[in-house]
Amino acid sequence: MTADFADTVLAHGVGGSTDLPVPLSYALIGAAWALALTFAVVAVAWRTPRFDPAKPGHPLPKWVSDAVDSPAIRWIAALAALVFTAWVLVAAMWGPQGSGNALPGVFYVLLWVGLAAISVVVGPIWRAISPVRTISRLLGVSRGHRAAGDARRKYPANFGYWPAVLGLFAFVWLELASPDPGSLTAIKIWILAYAVAMLLGAAVFGSTWFARADPFEVYSVTVSRLAPLRRNRATGRIVVGNPLDHLPTMPVRAGTVAVMAVLLGSTAFDSFSQSRTFRDFVDGNAATVPFFGDHGGAAVLRTAVLLLFVVIVGVTFSGAARATSGVSREQRRELPGRLAHCLIPIVVGYIFAHYLSYLVERGQETIVRLADPLGKGWQLLALDPGDVQYFLSQNPTLLWTIKVGCVVVGHLVGVIAAHDRALRLLPVGHQLVGQLAMMLTMVAYTLTGLYLLFGG
Amino acid sequence: MSEPIRQVALTTVVLGVLVAVAACQSPPSPQGPPSAANSSSAATSTTPTGSAAAETVIDISVADGAVTPTNATVQGAVGQPIVLVVSSDVVDSLHVHSVPEHVFDVEARPDQRFEFTVRVPGRVDVELHNLHRTVVTIEATP
Repeated sequence: MTADFADTVLAHGVGGSTDLPVPLSYALIGAAWALALTFAVVAVAWRTPRFDPAKPGHPLPKWVSDAVDSPAIRWIAALAALVFTAWVLVAAMWGPQGSGNALPGVFYVLLWVGLAAISVVVGPIWRAISPVRTISRLLGVSRGHRAAGDARRKYPANFGYWPAVLGLFAFVWLELASPDPGSLTAIKIWILAYAVAMLLGAAVFGSTWFARADPFEVYSVTVSRLAPLRRNRATGRIVVGNPLDHLPTMPVRAGTVAVMAVLLGSTAFDSFSQSRTFRDFVDGNAATVPFFGDHGGAAVLRTAVLLLFVVIVGVTFSGAARATSGVSREQRRELPGRLAHCLIPIVVGYIFAHYLSYLVERGQETIVRLADPLGKGWQLLALDPGDVQYFLSQNPTLLWTIKVGCVVVGHLVGVIAAHDRALRLLPVGHQLVGQLAMMLTMVAYTLTGLYLLFGG
Repeated sequence: MSEPIRQVALTTVVLGVLVAVAACQSPPSPQGPPSAANSSSAATSTTPTGSAAAETVIDISVADGAVTPTNATVQGAVGQPIVLVVSSDVVDSLHVHSVPEHVFDVEARPDQRFEFTVRVPGRVDVELHNLHRTVVTIEATP
């Protein structure tokens, strides 16, 4: 069993303090900017679509593309990530079985927030370093054939991203709603189930399975649509370009909107679940849930509300996307998927507003723990706990400004993308009115987000 | 068609700027660093000795499987001593989720004092382990 200290570390499973609430004045200034910029974009801005994924971008030197595409470098990166995974697993199994273990920090902070931070700059990196992909390729190689080519069945198109949506929900559930987010046992079981599901799925459907069903890969791909770096599809070169040209390349598949809904809904739930209102509600009603006991009942209530947040985001977004005139039934049904990429900036802005200090500070603590995986007092790379810098927490006004800035900039980019997309999708004469519902929905998401950062 | 919308947009921009200006001039928010005089809120009481005016004291009682208070909020400051005065009828443990974290063993007796300081600003949950309740959240400002 895990030591009993570990299983009550509540906040995101990694313990420590959380950010001070953003003061009302910061939230109000953010809200005023979000409102003003939205209406400016809708009414004063351009009338013909500007952003196009087909734009060439500025190509980087050829050696960059060659390096990224070089099989040797790809193998080195993949194997390095596999070695890192093994390192973490060794620490998880044989390291200190309490709050000193590195596993929760790696899982909740480095993986969840760190992956988003890297993907938003350099692109969908998980595809290149995913340990389950590497293992699958190694197994394929050892059997003497290529893993990618040996799919027994074709991946059904109507599955879309739904397996990944389930995986993403399972992740946020473990972090935010499960009885014991900090329990090493719970995280180990989650990782085992993930690895088994990935490898079995890949054995049946080939590597397409990873692209559609691996929650981390879909998350990484989603966030990467905001990256300034991308590949020119015509020439294959890596180019630097406007992220707004890159955004519309988000694949539209079954479940694309649900991916956004899980990411945005769960982050909002995380803020909300720290409020006194919600904690009092859970404490007061947990005992009324049958069959689960007091502690289990609280988890059931949290799960229900987490799901509610996700469903509300999904339903309001789909409804707003469809609320336009001048389109046929068929077109209307396609609208939510074709507008889904406009939520990516809002999701990314909110994730950073929420988890930036976690990434920077808990991330440092985690790396220090990884330098002493077995709890024997090693200080590999001369890292010791005294090295951790808490600069962001110690300067709350800076942190508040960054948080509100992330939300407002994410909102603005989302609104610009939605306006541009509406010009492309909606018939002339319906473009202004047709996008109003979407704009109001986005404003509602942003104001709710700011209100939750303020502390509800 | 677009002219009225343009006017609406302009009006909104003007209103937005006004709200922003008004917000800038609003009095300091309640999250600001508390002075020594108001550092104890409803859930706290000052120490009778009065020797350490900057102390934040939080009274906690555990009786018949229930803890008072729950989910309370208290203002505190980094480096300033925070004292939990606990009266309990059961053995339990208090976890303070600060940086660094603190764990205190609660015995089944009245008036146990646990003192600690918070080193890094943030919201610090104080949790009762066996009861699975958040007792109080300390907003420790720099």
